[in-house]
Amino acid sequence: MTERSTAGADSAGSVAADPLRARFDRARVFSWAQTIGIVVLLAIIFATPGFLAGPSILSLLTTVSFIGCVAIGMTLITISGNIMSFALGATVGVTAMVFILAVNWLGFGPGLVVGLLIGSLLTGLQGLLIGWVRANPIIVSIAALALIYGVTQAFTEKGTIYADPGTVPASVKGKIAGIPIEFIVFLLSAVVAQLILSATRFGRNLFMVGSSFRAAEAVGVSTWRTVTGAYLWAGFFTSLAGIMLAIRYDSANMDYGVAYDYDAIAAVLVGGTAIGGGQGSALRTLAGAMVIASVQVMLLLQGLRQEWQYLAAGLIVLAVIILQARGSGR
Amino acid sequence: MWRYLDGPHARPFAVLAACIMLLALVDGDNGRFLSAATAYSTLQTFATISLVTLGLGLTMMIREFDLSVVGMYGMAGCIAVLTGTHYPWFGLWFALAVGLIAGIVQGFIIVRLHLASVGVTLGGLLVFIGIAFVLTESRSLPYDNLGVALLLNERVGGIFSIRGIVALVFFAGAAAIFAWTRLGRDIIAIGSDRRAAMTTGVKVDTLIIGIFAFSGLCAALSGVLLSYSLASASPAGLSDVIAPAAAGAILGGVSLGGGSGRPLGIAAGALTLAVLRSGLNAVGAPPFVNDITMGAVLLTVAVLDGPYLARRLIEARRWARRALGA
Amino acid sequence: MQEVLSVRGVSKAYPGVTALEDVSLSLRPGEIRAICGENGAGKSTFVKILMGIVQPDSGSIDINGQTQVVRGPQQAQSMGLGLVAQELSLAPHLSILDNIWLGSAEVPFLHRRASFRVRAKQALETLGLTDWDLDRPVSSLTVGQRQLIEIARLLARDARVLILDEPTATLSDADIERILGILKGLRTQGRSIIYITHRLGEVFELCDSITVLRNGQHVATQPVSETTREGLVEMMLGRSFEDMYPKAPAHADQSVRVVVEGLDVPGTLNKFSMTAPRGRIVCIAGQIGSGANMVTRALAGLVPSATGSVTVDGRPMRLGSVPHAVARNVLFVSDDRAAEGLFPQMTVLDNLIATRLDASARMGVLSWPALRRMAASLAERVGVDRHRLKSQSIALSGGNQQKLLFGRALASADAGVLLMNEPTRGIDVGARAEIYRIMRELCDLGSTLIMTSSDLEEVVGIADIVITLYRGNVVARYEDEAIAMSSILADITHPTQAVA
Repeated sequence: MTERSTAGADSAGSVAADPLRARFDRARVFSWAQTIGIVVLLAIIFATPGFLAGPSILSLLTTVSFIGCVAIGMTLITISGNIMSFALGATVGVTAMVFILAVNWLGFGPGLVVGLLIGSLLTGLQGLLIGWVRANPIIVSIAALALIYGVTQAFTEKGTIYADPGTVPASVKGKIAGIPIEFIVFLLSAVVAQLILSATRFGRNLFMVGSSFRAAEAVGVSTWRTVTGAYLWAGFFTSLAGIMLAIRYDSANMDYGVAYDYDAIAAVLVGGTAIGGGQGSALRTLAGAMVIASVQVMLLLQGLRQEWQYLAAGLIVLAVIILQARGSGR
Repeated sequence: MWRYLDGPHARPFAVLAACIMLLALVDGDNGRFLSAATAYSTLQTFATISLVTLGLGLTMMIREFDLSVVGMYGMAGCIAVLTGTHYPWFGLWFALAVGLIAGIVQGFIIVRLHLASVGVTLGGLLVFIGIAFVLTESRSLPYDNLGVALLLNERVGGIFSIRGIVALVFFAGAAAIFAWTRLGRDIIAIGSDRRAAMTTGVKVDTLIIGIFAFSGLCAALSGVLLSYSLASASPAGLSDVIAPAAAGAILGGVSLGGGSGRPLGIAAGALTLAVLRSGLNAVGAPPFVNDITMGAVLLTVAVLDGPYLARRLIEARRWARRALGA
Repeated sequence: MQEVLSVRGVSKAYPGVTALEDVSLSLRPGEIRAICGENGAGKSTFVKILMGIVQPDSGSIDINGQTQVVRGPQQAQSMGLGLVAQELSLAPHLSILDNIWLGSAEVPFLHRRASFRVRAKQALETLGLTDWDLDRPVSSLTVGQRQLIEIARLLARDARVLILDEPTATLSDADIERILGILKGLRTQGRSIIYITHRLGEVFELCDSITVLRNGQHVATQPVSETTREGLVEMMLGRSFEDMYPKAPAHADQSVRVVVEGLDVPGTLNKFSMTAPRGRIVCIAGQIGSGANMVTRALAGLVPSATGSVTVDGRPMRLGSVPHAVARNVLFVSDDRAAEGLFPQMTVLDNLIATRLDASARMGVLSWPALRRMAASLAERVGVDRHRLKSQSIALSGGNQQKLLFGRALASADAGVLLMNEPTRGIDVGARAEIYRIMRELCDLGSTLIMTSSDLEEVVGIADIVITLYRGNVVARYEDEAIAMSSILADITHPTQAVA
């Protein structure tokens, strides 16, 4: 199969005789082409002079981690067939705020637990509505976005809250073996999410629900539990991002997660997870996030202003969405 | 016209009336709510959100979803401010043309490649935001032609502004098209049952592209009018529009299943939001009440529209009976 | 008399398949022609060519004596051809009037003209529907009433040749009778009808002549008066239908496994009771709307509103929960493969093991080697090529997809209860015989099969026990030699005895 796929171009003639066969092989070819494309792109980027020099790579690794964790969560939502959530960015902000409050009040350890709980539950609740009555996921997430902003405004008069000095241990702010701790958390998240997806019963259920909701129901998958689970995990990974931001800046603000939803879905799609659900992987999202971040750093190194990063990310996403359609032969 | 005011199409107007009465009651005889000033500010809010709501609502009516309105809203404002300092009309037309073309391109991609509109317009959204940032170099741009800003916000007849009138004219036009032309009927048919529309000979693909073009145009127009009237444009500041637009469309009777909802209903939906925002402000409610109301409304509608709601209620009843019996 | 429609030597090939080969047909004014053939015989391609949806590779179409090239549905309409497709093509949110004129090229941009209202009214009157309000939304009509609107639409556009593709498939008997009456009335007006149906009864009641297609080729055209039922079936199948169905020796152990008592589904099924023994195929026969497919769906746990008592192998089974049914080894094979059966983007392997995950998971963690072994052995049992385990399931043919679903339903080593709706819908003749063979093998292994089918030949051919249903009530139960097509047909169309 592998030889056939990599030699896609010359086998095209024989494949065309059977349209179903052709579609299947085209999807394979596309998936391989995308993987190769990502590898080549990363190679070019790392070969760019100055890229591996200390400051830029370190700041890249840190910034990509925040968005990356949200993207890992988004991956689960996308695979479950619910496209995307608009409320994850707001969840980042809320988690950061609640974390700081809890740390000031209860200390670091309990704060961590409270932060992770609040993010998971907020998002899991949306998943419950979406899975149980099959409410429209886009509308539910937009509603959650408005509610989260409304409620947090009600409780915080001033925009930013700060951690009391000394409450956050210095050990969680540094680096391990020269690698920022945020990036290690991101890597671990991707690995954990990938294990959940491919090695557990829940992961299989998730793919089945995303691929065909009614077929999953007919084989006895508890669909609402699966969807709720996907959102719970999405909330968990998202709140990791919020907590890491709060730790990094010793403060929290609702603006922390602004526009993370869009960056996260961009990473998911560039990684090759299908927007329609039922396909995808967390490791691919990791790669997608790295590609977008690397392109942005490369643009910076080429002397282009920061604005161009946004445009580049947008164009990449658009291109990937269109290419994916061609790849799946639809 | 009365045909549109009975049956399910009356719901948006009933909700609007209920909101007005409720706010009037809350206000009592303070006269803060039922005043010309509140009416004016309501219509100003209406002018800001209603056209985006109309465009998004129409795409929802045909069972698509145009996410890119958010990006277009911001980008068009930046384009108009950049190009229209000396010739406001040129800035306006230029931005409108960009909105129209962007909509056509997106519609074309959706139709030709049979892609989900959420995906394509998400790509569009990110690209538009990117362009806006590049054009403005990440800054907030001032619009130096203050005359235009004043003109757009000038009161006409006590409560209207030019901006509000433009929006109202658009809605009137859309309502006329839906009531009297085959275009409107064909669009409803696409939302109601796309395959049926296709097999009976409706030009489905062309109309879908047209709807996305219209949606792009609407978003661009509201972006331009808002930027002109605020005398500034910024790439990031305008992006908080998707929630009100979706809420307005749903309040306006656009169902997520497609086919239902009419322009006048969408106008009522947007007006309801505007009344709530200005009204709550007028009676002295803090700003977050508005967000919470909007979120609660959206969430309620999403749950009530959930296709499994009836089934889950049966299951819940059965479960409760078993639990009690055991 | 001049022919209103004459098709000569039409062929159409798709990559890898010849859909139609040199098919001719001519139709007189006032003639009702039945087109019969199995699934895949080329009927739908023929209709698509007539309506200009598909262009033929060769051949010509004459309408009223003039050779025409039909480029699309709108043009076909203007030439006097009109189609009522299998699925309704009405927009429920629009009014009757708007639906009658939807998509018509005649309607001007400003479409509210009195003349269109008048013509729509006249069309409804032709059908005897004098009191219908044109402004009523179609969503408020029943399925049967909607079918009438489809026909009214063709009449309003003055179609001379009406093509009806299985118009009665989803209708109740009263609606079918009404439609057949209306069609007979149209014949006296000189309109011609091409009538495509699987229901042989309607062919003999309504039609003047029959054209039989098989594998894309024209087999015969002859008057109904010269055709017998058995002869027609043989022409459609190309062989006598007994060869298809393996009659297996009865399983040694015929102890009762499934007992259903008082199964109720509000609105569709009324106090249904039955027993199903080990090693046998039980078929619940009934027309669409009789509630037959509700029995299997309810037993599978897919109908939340179902009530009643069910025991499987002596243990009670709760209704309304699929996981519970699966735990009792009761598995469902859907008739709607695309929407309710396959996981299209997932691999054949993923699809096969979908019901077996719990067996190979410890604390929720899967054992992939065990799953792979299981998938390989399942693939072998149902005859799917092992080398395709890594393919996307959507890339398989319909027959292979159905085998996949069968494989998935063999959930555990001990033989289970399999529920199947229309197990051979949309599957070609060759694959069909193999599906029947697999069904028999499952019985030999001790499984119990409960199936529904609207194809009477299939019911008579494969079932060991037949239970007939009429409007949600059981009419009769037949076993082995007592199973006969005539009595089943009588039962499901007009109940011969009342059973509470």
